[in-house]
Amino acid sequence: MSKSPEFRFSRLVASSITNRPHRNVATIVAFAIIAATLFSAQYLTSGALQSLDAGMTRMGADILVVPEGYSAAAQTVILMGEPSSFFFNDSGFEQISKIPGVAKASPQIFIATLAGQACCSAPVQLIAIDPDHDFTVATWLKENPGVVMGKDDIIVGSMISGDIGSDLLFYGHTFHIVGRLAKTGMMGVDCAVFTRFEDAYVMSDESGVKAVRELTIPRGMVSAVLVKVDPGIVPATVANRIQAQIPGTKTITPNGLLSSVTGQLAAVTHLLYGSTLAVTIVSIPLLGFISAMVAHERRREVAIFRALGAKKSYVVRLMLTESFAISVIGGLIGIAAAAGILVLFQDFIAITLKIPFNVPSPLTVMIIGGSALVLTIAIGGIASLYPAILVNRSEPYDTIRKGEP
Amino acid sequence: MIEVTGVTKTYSAQGSEVRAVDDVHFEVKTGDFVLILGRSGSGKSTLLGMLAGLIRPTNGVIRFNGKEIGSLSEDKISELRAKEIGFVFQFSGLIPTITALENVMLPTLFSPNGSGSRSEALKLLKRVGMSHRADAYPRTLSSGEMKRVAIARALINGPALIIADEPTGDLDVDTEYEIMELFRELNREGKTIVMVTHNPDLVPYANRTYGMDRGKLVQRSDPFPFRMVPEGGAQPHQSDRP
Repeated sequence: MSKSPEFRFSRLVASSITNRPHRNVATIVAFAIIAATLFSAQYLTSGALQSLDAGMTRMGADILVVPEGYSAAAQTVILMGEPSSFFFNDSGFEQISKIPGVAKASPQIFIATLAGQACCSAPVQLIAIDPDHDFTVATWLKENPGVVMGKDDIIVGSMISGDIGSDLLFYGHTFHIVGRLAKTGMMGVDCAVFTRFEDAYVMSDESGVKAVRELTIPRGMVSAVLVKVDPGIVPATVANRIQAQIPGTKTITPNGLLSSVTGQLAAVTHLLYGSTLAVTIVSIPLLGFISAMVAHERRREVAIFRALGAKKSYVVRLMLTESFAISVIGGLIGIAAAAGILVLFQDFIAITLKIPFNVPSPLTVMIIGGSALVLTIAIGGIASLYPAILVNRSEPYDTIRKGEP
Repeated sequence: MIEVTGVTKTYSAQGSEVRAVDDVHFEVKTGDFVLILGRSGSGKSTLLGMLAGLIRPTNGVIRFNGKEIGSLSEDKISELRAKEIGFVFQFSGLIPTITALENVMLPTLFSPNGSGSRSEALKLLKRVGMSHRADAYPRTLSSGEMKRVAIARALINGPALIIADEPTGDLDVDTEYEIMELFRELNREGKTIVMVTHNPDLVPYANRTYGMDRGKLVQRSDPFPFRMVPEGGAQPHQSDRP
């Protein structure tokens, strides 16, 4: 007794796909490339923006005030975590606090540590905070009530190695890890080590004796002032006031950082979107050509369907469904492969592209994957529609007889 | 069942007009076994295609159970084919990607009220002696086996008419005999059969025979002016239905 399953439209589609593997593999690969390119472009952009958002939320600042001429260096510190040291007079901090629209201001000192520290394979950014005014670490401390930041205590970014409770050595001064921040994807936070002003000054004072190179932190100088604006105030307005009223300063806003990240990403996204466009432009006629070849090869089969009573609309539906199924298979393979590669090499990609990057949320990944899949299916549909209509136009009976050996 | 009145089909070929079927008149009654005999290119397959509504005549009228096929929409003609006509092609015409059983069930996908359940398809395969190969793919079947499956497929929707285009063209003598016996049985059970062939040996199976040459159709009982095989070849049998 036969074990064949019930025969339905879906079985006809499935058998046509599975019993013509060689022909369909090329089409599936083409769809996979399209989907992978579409997915990668959206994934990288979304991951960078999400990371920037998480990083800025962690820093809690609406405006970053830095010395004029150090704007680019400060952006590199924040976005990439590349250590840098620069200072300006902290009298600016007092002035900033008094500018209308400023709700809170918090000074920070950026200290680039030396290479070859026990903690890290590369120099890290030490950020000294003023506990009396800080709202970056203070917010985190509020969320983690068991943690107290005392003398020589540090809170480290997610990418700094070392367990909580262990020690780290900077400029010969021993610090004690009491907390670890959650990953943001923004290197300026993830690769940073937060300490207190007074501990940084002690470290600096002792460095001449304890460290291979002396560290100088001039008293009365800070590297940056983080500003939180009053609710309802546009950060750019306050930033303009700061720049106008305090000469020698430069302000960085999240929008400015966004532009910077977008600029960094532009080359990549342009490349990816350009490749997507190129792949799409090439693939539509290519897939159309493949579909036309397939349709030509299947003219006799289609003619037999018609002779057996299939309507033209049925044949079009059959061919479009096959194309749909193949594009879904190819699309899913492409998206899965791209996602795998992007997740596996996300740090390498972020460092190479010099962008902050965090894996987008599952919902975002699903939306990105879904949209890439829909676009891939649409491309497949467009490419196969005309051949499907064309094959229906031939005289079925002539085709059957011409196709006979 | 079928009335063909003044049907002509012309094609344009290399700037000139070719009359593939030329002013044909004939009738097929329910229960008939009609054989249309003719050489290659005589127009017999074109005529068959027009009877099935697959080719539109240039002139003339074809009525199927009183309905003029030319007046029907393409979808209606497709429905008519799915429900009323079973097709057997010269070469099996089986779909290579599905099994023999699925090939038999295929026309049920096209018929709104097709009766082709799996058990019905198996019954038909049994009837044509192919139930043991139900799960075989066409590439593994012999020509005779494929033809049997094709006949089972033609029967699945319970059509009144079976159209067969050179159904024994690629078969050896023994298999040809078996297949023709199958057609004869079906005809005895009430199926109307219209078959075209170039093989005059099949004449005894039909109750009505027509000859076709250069698009013209002549009933076999009339003076029969056409040579069925090239000069020097065998002459057609003159016997009637056995």
